[in-house]
Amino acid sequence: MTSADLARCTIVLFVVLVVQQTLLDSVRIAGAHPDAMLLLPIAAGYVAGPDRGAGFGFAAGVLADLFLPTTFGLSALVFCLVGYGTGLTVRGLVRSSWWLPPIVAAGATSVGLAVYAILGSVLGEPGTVTTSLAPALVVATPAAVVLATPVVRLVSWALPAVSSGHGAGIGSGPR
Amino acid sequence: MARTRRPRRTRLTIGLLILASITIITLDYRGDAHGTISSLKNAASDAFSPVQRGVDDITHPIGSFLAGAVNGGEIEQENAKLRQQVGNLQSQLLAHQATANALKSLQKLDHLRWAQGIPRVAAQVVSLNSSNFAATVELNVGARNGVAAGMPVVGSAGLVGRVTSTSSTRCTVTLITDAGSAVGVRYGAASLDLALAQGDGIGKNLDVTYVSPGTALHKGEVLTTSGLQNGIYPPLIPVARIRSFSSSASATSETVSAAPAADLAQLQYVDVLQWPAAG
Repeated sequence: MTSADLARCTIVLFVVLVVQQTLLDSVRIAGAHPDAMLLLPIAAGYVAGPDRGAGFGFAAGVLADLFLPTTFGLSALVFCLVGYGTGLTVRGLVRSSWWLPPIVAAGATSVGLAVYAILGSVLGEPGTVTTSLAPALVVATPAAVVLATPVVRLVSWALPAVSSGHGAGIGSGPR
Repeated sequence: MARTRRPRRTRLTIGLLILASITIITLDYRGDAHGTISSLKNAASDAFSPVQRGVDDITHPIGSFLAGAVNGGEIEQENAKLRQQVGNLQSQLLAHQATANALKSLQKLDHLRWAQGIPRVAAQVVSLNSSNFAATVELNVGARNGVAAGMPVVGSAGLVGRVTSTSSTRCTVTLITDAGSAVGVRYGAASLDLALAQGDGIGKNLDVTYVSPGTALHKGEVLTTSGLQNGIYPPLIPVARIRSFSSSASATSETVSAAPAADLAQLQYVDVLQWPAAG
């Protein structure tokens, strides 16, 4: 990864963080809001494979944790696992369809939120599974479908194109 | 050869990242690196608040510009001009109404009948819950304004929550509806009976526990802070109003649900009580 790639990744992380903090956090339905930060590792895994999905997820998670009241490092762990898992899941895909990113995003968001809630519960965060998980799933999963395409495009601009056999082959976004 | 090396490198990467994450979680959980993590969070919050204000300033004019998009043709231009004038007048009217409403809210906070004599810091809610797994709001005051973790926060109608972290210019308040929140309350004709009002998640009613079965309750009854719990909250601040209660023959306690007295969905102005928590 070159310094130009790192700069692009930093820009993407910052832009999505600003959008999340200033716009998406205000969109509250039943107390839950869309989660664009969780879409970052999903998009990275989809575009650049499990390796970079995990790395990008870790960076996005640490950044998200700076602004969350929950245990520090929890988002880093979950995002890292989600990026890795998404990369592994879409590894065999050679061609992409327009409908594939939204479906992958919806599935990975649901899994990511469930893992976050379970790990949060293990770490003593109250009510993550019993109270907060259901509204989070109901709101964040459909929102992931809507936000998937722009976020995947943004991440594919930031991360270098991957070699064949990794990702879904849309990593060659505009430079 | 490269085929076997690649998965090994991937496994090593994910292994190291998981290890790093678990190390950070452990350090935070044990409190070993609490000072460092708090400093990082505070620095991030302070650095981000001007960006947040700037984006808010940008998005408002964009919205206005899109709303007032100009049509072609002289008449349409004239119509647009007139519409703009009407819009300006309406926006002025709305601005006056908004100012009047804000003034009314602040005046209500000035005439609170409870927590008299406790110094307070007026604050505005600048952002709502940042996590889907915690009921919190962020206020535009911080350590620089004399706000510290543990201080109670009240609205014009009652208790809102408690400050859980501060940076120099912002603070995070955990609402009484958060699943981890529990407030000791008094109820009954003489306000002698004690119970615990526990949060059940964002936008939900509070669960009131430790109410003996058969206790005389009525809908709308106000629960106030008990002043116990080592003085976390000052006494007699309205917390919630009873919405429903029921009890079965074999139950050891009454099932009571209560709505927060303060409208937590529409929070705008609040007061942070400079009440030192004893614990």
